[in-house]
Amino acid sequence: MATTLPARQTPHATGRAGSAEPVHRADVAVDAASGMLTGVDLAVRTAGLTKRFRSGQVAVDGIDLEVPRGSVYGFLGPNGSGKTTTIRMLLGLVGPTDGRAWLLGEPMPDAAARVLPRVGVLVEGPAFQPYLSGAANLARLDAADATADPRTSRRRTGDALERVGLAAAARKPYRQYSLGMKQRLGLAAALLRPRDLLVLDEPTNGLDPQGTREVRHLVRELADAGTTVLVSSHLLTEIEQVCSHIGIMSRGRLLAQGERSVLTDARPARVVVTTTVADADRAAAVLGSLGLVDVVRDGAVLEAALGTPPETVSAALVGAGVPLLGLEVRRPSLEQLFVTLTGEGFDVAR
Amino acid sequence: MSLADAAVPTAAMPSGSATHAAAPTRVRGAWGRLLRSELRLVFGRRRNIALLVGLACVPLLLGTVLFVTRDSALGGQGPGFISRVTENGLFLVVAALFMCLPFLLPLTTGIASGDAIAGEAQAGTLRYLLAVPVSRARLLGIKALATLAYVACAVLAIAVVAFVVGAVMFGVGDVTLLSGTTVPVADGVLRIAGVAAYVALSLTGLVAVGLFLSTLTEVPVGAMAGTVVVAIVSAVLDTLPQLAVIHPGLLTHHWLDFAEFLRLEVGWGVLGQGLAVQAAWVAVFGALAWSRFTTADVTS
Amino acid sequence: MDEQTDPTTSATAGPTTDATGAPDAGARRRARRRWAVPVAVGAAVAAAFAGPTLVASAGGEGLPDRTAEELLAAVAQAEPQALSGTVVYTARLGLPEIPFVEAGGADPIALLGGSSTLRVWSDGEDRSRVALLGATSEYSVVRDGAEAWTYSSADDEVVHYLLSDADAARYAELESQLEQGPPPEVAGDLPTPEEAAAQVLAAAEETSTVSVDGQTTVAGRDAYQLVVTPRSTGTLVARVVVAVDAETSAPLRVQVWSTQDDGAPALEVGFTDVEFTVPDAAVLEFSAPAGADQRDVVVPLPEAPEADAARAQLGTDAHGLPTHPDVTVTGEGWDRVVELAGVDVASLVAGDPEGVETLPGGELTIGSPEAQELLREFKPTDGEGGMELDTSALYEQLTTEVPEGRLLSSTLLSVLVTHDGRVLVGAVPAETLRDLA
Ligand SMILES: Nc1ncnc2c1ncn2[C@@H]1O[C@H](COP(=O)(O)OP(=O)(O)O)[C@@H](O)[C@H]1O
Ligand SMILES: [Mg+2]
Repeated sequence: MATTLPARQTPHATGRAGSAEPVHRADVAVDAASGMLTGVDLAVRTAGLTKRFRSGQVAVDGIDLEVPRGSVYGFLGPNGSGKTTTIRMLLGLVGPTDGRAWLLGEPMPDAAARVLPRVGVLVEGPAFQPYLSGAANLARLDAADATADPRTSRRRTGDALERVGLAAAARKPYRQYSLGMKQRLGLAAALLRPRDLLVLDEPTNGLDPQGTREVRHLVRELADAGTTVLVSSHLLTEIEQVCSHIGIMSRGRLLAQGERSVLTDARPARVVVTTTVADADRAAAVLGSLGLVDVVRDGAVLEAALGTPPETVSAALVGAGVPLLGLEVRRPSLEQLFVTLTGEGFDVAR
Repeated sequence: MSLADAAVPTAAMPSGSATHAAAPTRVRGAWGRLLRSELRLVFGRRRNIALLVGLACVPLLLGTVLFVTRDSALGGQGPGFISRVTENGLFLVVAALFMCLPFLLPLTTGIASGDAIAGEAQAGTLRYLLAVPVSRARLLGIKALATLAYVACAVLAIAVVAFVVGAVMFGVGDVTLLSGTTVPVADGVLRIAGVAAYVALSLTGLVAVGLFLSTLTEVPVGAMAGTVVVAIVSAVLDTLPQLAVIHPGLLTHHWLDFAEFLRLEVGWGVLGQGLAVQAAWVAVFGALAWSRFTTADVTS
Repeated sequence: MDEQTDPTTSATAGPTTDATGAPDAGARRRARRRWAVPVAVGAAVAAAFAGPTLVASAGGEGLPDRTAEELLAAVAQAEPQALSGTVVYTARLGLPEIPFVEAGGADPIALLGGSSTLRVWSDGEDRSRVALLGATSEYSVVRDGAEAWTYSSADDEVVHYLLSDADAARYAELESQLEQGPPPEVAGDLPTPEEAAAQVLAAAEETSTVSVDGQTTVAGRDAYQLVVTPRSTGTLVARVVVAVDAETSAPLRVQVWSTQDDGAPALEVGFTDVEFTVPDAAVLEFSAPAGADQRDVVVPLPEAPEADAARAQLGTDAHGLPTHPDVTVTGEGWDRVVELAGVDVASLVAGDPEGVETLPGGELTIGSPEAQELLREFKPTDGEGGMELDTSALYEQLTTEVPEGRLLSSTLLSVLVTHDGRVLVGAVPAETLRDLA
């Protein structure tokens, strides 16, 4: 997986190498080489997590997820890439074929009773009893929580409904809710009590742009309050902006993960030089002399991987007397990153 | 767990770190709270209420028919205990239960138990309940209790309505037993209460079967139909003399043994055997349901 | 906790290179262990249900040896016991299925095939109750000295059997002499091991060899087994096995084996549980329930054994059969065939009471008492209310057409109804009857 990135750019590489590892705490990643803590506390961690369904399909193929505490982790991948299956395994709904998972430092599903009350979830869309009202549905989930104080149940459900803006529709049967209201109720259920971790699977599904914005706002608000958020989506752009960390899934594999800025900076930016057709050859020679590789020429436009600071490029070109009509530095987007990683576009369902 | 609990210096977090809250502690009476919530769900559901009302209509209908025809040539005819109803309203309880036992009560049991897990799976609420978290064994237990309560309520609804209708239409008097002996009303009422209790307990095995089927599928209708089919197949097998060896172990074989309460000397041994067979089915299918439900992937 | 604690183990394993590796074997093992639970429960349940049967079929050994003569004498001398118990009666007569048996509630017709359960209570003297249990019905025969009642719950009908005034006086007189008068004959009587054994063993030594088989357990009690084997080979009866209680010498079970079926007894009547205590007085009482149909039947007082002996010198044949112009008896003992002439079978099977008139009176004794029981079912006397069956359909179903007439052939008994209105009955193969006809 992370082999697609240079090692130094993996913010918290797991200690694959060392059998002589000194520290074994689950939620603390260890730098294998130094044997020192990398200083990142993990809210979610999986090791070689694999799910092969009875149909023979490998939905999740040995992924090592690492979600630091306090982060907003965007779990991205096209439809059918295994995000929901991973989340189900995290929550103990589906048993892994192989590998392990830890939530908030405790092994799942063994510690489910201890951990899950601190985890709010939205998995594969909201689901409630259709003939109960929104409030009654929340009350039911609250009653199911053995650690919830029954005396404050009414307040909890009321607050949660308020928070997602459903207070007015609290007494309506769930089956009369619109798609957006259903999604909101799902979020309300996830927010029934203060959580240390929120796992939101496709929270923007079925929402209009306004609803999507609201979800982003909510996620940001929660993250600001210190809650770790693991949010999955098959739409890169919808969620990319709020994420501090990114994990990219494709065909059951975690292709890359890490801090968003590091990930996007990891690919060398490209420099695009526009000159005249006549000077293009000279410009290419200058770029080559600067040690830039992967030079592509398209008429008067040259493109190359940016290996030196851009000002060095412009100075060299100007120094060589090449007419510089334009110079642009292109940083790769996540979309491009994905295409580079998989060789195909993002929105390919399989 | 000692390793995971080992104190490790936590380095400063980059951004506002989540508070490492201690694991929440269980509140006392959590079982009761969930069970009450489940009962509200089962008994608040319109389909279930309609089913109870429908069952309660059986004795009303039966009583009315018998009342209207009692002076005609058809009066006092019919299988089982129907012929006795016009003489003594108490027998309407037995006649109504007898009529509901072959199909309507298994249907009710099938609907209630088949829906228990599969219904939640189909609605998708199962994954949210389990993520609350509710342990799977606890959820199964709660579902079983709620289903049993509903089935008991169905039997009770038939019995109570039949008692009232019978008393109003035909009056209540000393009870003539199957043996031809007559016992006082109080004794008779006790015996008939015994009949209702035995009928309700006779359905426990089917509840277990329904629960097991309910853990196998995400289609509640399938589990419901399967449960009813099990009851019907069992009744059919019970009529094949070639299978006499397995008859005593069949789910439905002892259902009509409630008649023991109406014999001169109640055959407690016979009743005990009937209940033991139900207990065996509950044990086997309860264990199957548990194994299945606690190991199955919830992908609904 | 197990290996789950160490997260690095699996991280080290490298999921891509070792997808089927050990790390998660624990979870799978746990799942397999879960499935072992229902298997174990199933085994425990099977053991719990099969166990008592296995234990019951063992044992029965270790009783002191007794000869057949000793046992016969013990049975003959044993005082009738006060008892209450459950009897299972099983008939495998090889008759066609009679599917409508249960429809009408508990009825003695059910004894023709399959298994029936009866409850028996007796005070050991002249009061008893035998109840044939239907699923939701009951057919009871209650005897109290010279009186008897049958009650069918399905029809809510009481038949009261009583003696004429003259007979009643004679009964009282007999009772003062003999301690106990003979019980009245009841149509649709129910079999008990005691009566069956009494009838088999009474004349056993004349026509059969009697031996002792291994010991057994019946209704949880140790028992000896007397085997009565007909000396004749012309009969359908292979042998009759009577299980005799070791303690009380009361017959606990009678099995009649047919020559046609070696696998299982053709008829079996035995206790599945029995207690030799005096039953509750309320059980032995009977008073017709309010609202039930009641019919009184005056029956003649059966001859007491002494009177029988006296009659034997006057007008009966050697077997105690009343001589009757229309009754011809061929053969001896087990081979005996009784021929009734001038029977209007057509109206009999149609349930026409006039057909009864054509039946020769008196008691018929044919080979075995069970065979007699079977024949009795064809007499509609007990069927006016109790047997609401389509008798002619039953007749059609049970009999087959042969050149001589219609033949009923079972593993123990053959009945031939000829076209000219004669009925031949015997515990002999059908061919014997056809040859005689
Ligand atoms: N219950 C199941 N049985 C078999 N295959 C499944 C099951 N659930 C999901 N899959 C397959 O696993 C793959 C991953 O699915 P999923 O985790 O739902 O993807 P995502 O959430 O990323 O869209 C898909 O190809 C899907 O077809
Ligand atoms: Mg998904």
